[in-house]
Parts: sequence; structure tokens; C-alpha cells
Amino acid sequence: MADLETPARNNEGFLENAHEWTPEVASMIAEADQISLGEKHWEIIEFLRIFYSKHEMSPPSNRLFVKAVKEALGEDRGNSIYLMQLFPGTPAKTACRIAGLPRPTNCL
Amino acid sequence: MSTLIVIDQPPYGTWAGREALDMAFSLAAFDQSVSLLFTGAGVNWLRKSQKTDGIEQKSIEKNLSAAPIFGVKAMFAEASACARYGLTIENMLAGVAIAENSSNLLHQYSHTAFSG
Amino acid sequence: MKPIATLHILNKAPEHSRSVECMRSLRAGDALLLTESAVLAIATTDVHDPNTTVYALKADVLARGLDDCASETHLVDFPAMVDLTAQAQNIISW
Repeated sequence: MADLETPARNNEGFLENAHEWTPEVASMIAEADQISLGEKHWEIIEFLRIFYSKHEMSPPSNRLFVKAVKEALGEDRGNSIYLMQLFPGTPAKTACRIAGLPRPTNCL
Repeated sequence: MSTLIVIDQPPYGTWAGREALDMAFSLAAFDQSVSLLFTGAGVNWLRKSQKTDGIEQKSIEKNLSAAPIFGVKAMFAEASACARYGLTIENMLAGVAIAENSSNLLHQYSHTAFSG
Repeated sequence: MKPIATLHILNKAPEHSRSVECMRSLRAGDALLLTESAVLAIATTDVHDPNTTVYALKADVLARGLDDCASETHLVDFPAMVDLTAQAQNIISW
């Protein structure tokens, strides 16, 4: 489908233009990472997008991502194992990439 | 070990202040006790309704509002500077405490660092 | 528009020594244009000399949340700022 082409992304897979993000785009970015988005993923994606609109920044590091999720959604979700399972690799980086946010500044 | 980071430079003027904020967030990420003190023109960081579209920078007000979420212990604003710049609890960011005697505060931390 | 004798363009916060120097140098018929950190002055009592017209760059005022303090200040955009510089006989960039 020509109209569902993934928008331009940078060398680390983050969207060049944040306005091009849609839930469909999120699914495509996730698929490229071999992640199939379920309800648990969407809860975190939605959290991140609200976080960005309030604070105009991505959580700068993995630790602060975990802290912010814990603050908003409780300890069940705000722990690194849970987030690692949903968003493998560096969870903050993977999740922000899928959520259409800028790259966390302190994630190597 | 507790750290106080003092911001006495105005918002948006230089990158030094944002670097100080990054440092505060990084300390908080590792559960180090860190607080922020705003003095002089630095109190203007705390003013509500900053609209930054016209200067193409991220809103310091919005960035700063993440501080409690990341575990920054406290934010203080020097009383005399607030008075000079017409700042009160009402037109400042939520969660800021006004410090009547900020020079006292400087002595209460194991490490105090000025930004910029 | 009436001509400006000297247009003082200030971008330093009120705490800066050059800002203090600038305020001391204002003469009747001069105009003061505040940009960047200098716009913070409109939240203070520093710039209420009736003999001086005060202008401030709107984008910088809005960024700092100072629109409520701007009642005695003329807010200007970039083109208006260029017009001001054209009107002035002399310009001092502090």
C-alpha cells in the first residue's frame, strides 16, 4: 500500500518529522524491530506521548524512563524488567522511537 | 551526600542552565539527593505560561515541570529575587518553595554548585 | 513616526553590569529596545522612565511568559525592529 509507507527516519530510526507519527506508523516502526504492538505497549506509548506534550522532552535516560512510568502507572509497569520485555534493547530508546518522540538525550 | 544546584542565570540566554538541569536529572536518575535553587535573574525559569514557539526552543517551564517526576527533591526560589521580578507562588511553577534566606541554604548541602 | 535620537539595543539581563550601564546612559528622546534576556527588565521597576520609549521583541517576551507585564512596553516583531533601527540617528548595541 503506497499510502502506508514509513515516513523518513534518521540513522537511529527516529522520525525526521514528529508530525508524521500516527498509530499505524508506530506499528510499522515496531515491526521493523520485530515487536508486535499489544495493549501493554500502547499503554506505554500513550504515556510517553502525554509526557512529551507536558514536558517537551523524552525521558532523558532509561532510568528516568522507568521512574516516570512508575510515577504515572505504578510499580507493576514502572520497572526495568517489564519495560525491557515490551521494548527490547534500550527500552527508553526503543519506546521513544516507536512513540514518535525525539531520541532520549542520555541514552548511548 | 546531597547536592544543591544553583541557577542564577536567566532562562534561554545560554545553554549553561539547561546543562545544569541535565546534571540534576542525571543525579536524580541514580537516586542521589539533588535540589535546585533559583536566585537573581534565574528565578525567571519558574514563571508560568512561557510560550516559546517564536524563539524555537523547548519550554524551560515544561522541561522543569518534570523535575519532581524524576525525583529532584526540592526547588527553591530566592525571596528577594522573586519580589524584584514580580513572582509569587501563584505565577510560578507548582511545587516551588520560596527561600527567605538562600545563603543559609548553601551551607546545608554536602555539595553546592553554581551553573554557568 | 518621530525620530529616535539614540536607539539602545540591550540583550543582557537586568543583573548584568552592561544593563546597568545602559540604563544610566538613557537620555530624553532615546528609545530602548529589549531583546533576549533583557526583556526580563519589564517585570521589574527598572525601565519606567517616562522620557524613554521602551520596545521589546515580542517572541522573547512571550517565551519568558511576560505578556502580562508588557502594558507599558511596545511589543515589536522582527520587521518592526528593523524599522526602529532605520529611524534612529544613532544606535548603541549593548
